[in-house]
Amino acid sequence: MEAAEHLHEHDHNHEHGVPVQEILKTALLIGLGLYFVVLIATGSLTNYINVRFSWLSYVAALIFLLLGATSAVRLMQSRRHDHHPHEHQHDHDPEHGSISWAALAVIAVPLVLGTLIPSRPLGAAAVDSELSANNIGGDVTAAFNIPPEQRNILDWVRALNAAEDPATLNGQTVDVVGFVYRGEAYTSDQFLVARFTISCCVADAVAIGLPVAWPEDLPLDAWVRVRGQFVPGDFQGETRPVIQPTRVELVEQPEHPYLYP
Amino acid sequence: MTESPVGLRIFARRTLLLAAVLILAGLVLAAVLLSTDNPVVLLSIFSTRFLGIFIEAVPFLLLGTLVSGLLEVFVRPEDIARYVPRRALPATLVGTLMGFAFPVCECGVVPVVRRLFHKGLPMSVGVTFLLAAPVMNPIVLASTIAAFGFGPVLIGRFVITLVVAGGVGLVFAFGARPQEILQPQSLMPVMGGGTDVCPTPAPRPGLWSGFHQAFEHAIDEFFEMGRDLIIGSLLAAAMQTLISQEVLLALGRGPVVSVLVMQVLAFVLSVCSTVDAFLALAFVGTFTGGSILAFLTFGPMVDIKSTLMFLGVFKRKTVLYLILLPLLMTLLIGIWTNLNVNL
Repeated sequence: MEAAEHLHEHDHNHEHGVPVQEILKTALLIGLGLYFVVLIATGSLTNYINVRFSWLSYVAALIFLLLGATSAVRLMQSRRHDHHPHEHQHDHDPEHGSISWAALAVIAVPLVLGTLIPSRPLGAAAVDSELSANNIGGDVTAAFNIPPEQRNILDWVRALNAAEDPATLNGQTVDVVGFVYRGEAYTSDQFLVARFTISCCVADAVAIGLPVAWPEDLPLDAWVRVRGQFVPGDFQGETRPVIQPTRVELVEQPEHPYLYP
Repeated sequence: MTESPVGLRIFARRTLLLAAVLILAGLVLAAVLLSTDNPVVLLSIFSTRFLGIFIEAVPFLLLGTLVSGLLEVFVRPEDIARYVPRRALPATLVGTLMGFAFPVCECGVVPVVRRLFHKGLPMSVGVTFLLAAPVMNPIVLASTIAAFGFGPVLIGRFVITLVVAGGVGLVFAFGARPQEILQPQSLMPVMGGGTDVCPTPAPRPGLWSGFHQAFEHAIDEFFEMGRDLIIGSLLAAAMQTLISQEVLLALGRGPVVSVLVMQVLAFVLSVCSTVDAFLALAFVGTFTGGSILAFLTFGPMVDIKSTLMFLGVFKRKTVLYLILLPLLMTLLIGIWTNLNVNL
């Protein structure tokens, strides 16, 4: 009885001559493989994961395409042999091989979202409530070994956290790139030059930023290069070093939109 | 009996899947409508977060399915069972570590264990292997390092799994006979054609056709596990994008509540153990360390998927033990961690 039902499930695809599910599966596997190839080729992979793990995406592209090819071969063989598709025994779980249409639709979701929605890194709108920079890991004191003008936002946040008195950083030259973020309580002459840091992928993204005193209006989320120096300032009721820019210019989104702790 | 276990299982899985998708869609819709933010921006953030988890996780899932396919075709559980000691304590220890020699995730472990029991493997070793293997294997080790780095979460995950799986195995070693634990068909010799008993091992295939079979097996497994990964990632991304930080913190900061929430989530999501670490990442900022560890240890041992498979091998009472013992142990360890360790 169970065996009969199993056979029925398995033959379901072949009843109408054209194994639609098998064709869809092949298309999905090849499609996902190509999606990974496109991610790598266009560089938009860095919108999603730490560049340290990009080799894993090469592996994924390769395996998807190999599986897609295997599936295509299986499809052609089953058409050639018509109703005797499998010589070998499938000795695993009976639900394998016969999945529902809903499951196929679910597998298509990443392809649909990946192709229909323009790939963008997390920006100002994804910053949740107040920025907290206290849980930034890594070698905090190493930031002091980098010359001030070469420090990125992450290095500065580490240096500010690690310094016994943050005021000692006043007077140092700053040259950083980030996106414009403005909290609800900010005054009109201040913004945060911000970045997301990720260690693995955007699931662990943490937003960090440096306060900038700048009277001119800048579009939210725009990428800017801020050059100037730290001066004693007041930010959200706290006396702390604030960037006093000599120059703020709009720039292209960097190749790596996230910083890697 | 009108419904066969297989039919019932397929039915239950499909209903659950449908329910999960509908609930998810409803929640997302409600949140988008209630939110003051621009829905297009929200969708873009949601999509980035979802694809991030998917892109990072899917290579591990694919490697897992390939290894599983190669094992299925080229290695017999019997090959490994031969080296298992017979005395309870060393045998249980071997059971916890066997996953490194035979890397299967929770989806693949049940058929393997059934075959091992059939070959006369001691109960305690089988049960220990069943609970430990989904974590104690090289692919899970690699994905957990990728997600959390070499640190307390990684060590905690492996040590807790070792303790819980070994503990439950010992309970079975001293308190049970196979006849009281297993479904009759798992004890009986092979019946040709049946799908719910261990199949006759086919003759070992040649290298080329073996690889082809392994790939076909991997395809089938990808579509099943990929589905669960995608539903899990959609839920995690929706949670991060749509639910406010305060609500999450209210749930995730309680030393007891947070652990229970993450255990329920692990059970319901049933995400393959090779990639669940990436989902756990989404909860790190808001949920307690103990609850993250409970998610990473209880989930691989027991979830909807494995419970349904347990029911095909073990008697109902045994399945209850297999769920409750790991549940209570990981709950207690999770709460203890929250109260005593600062992760």
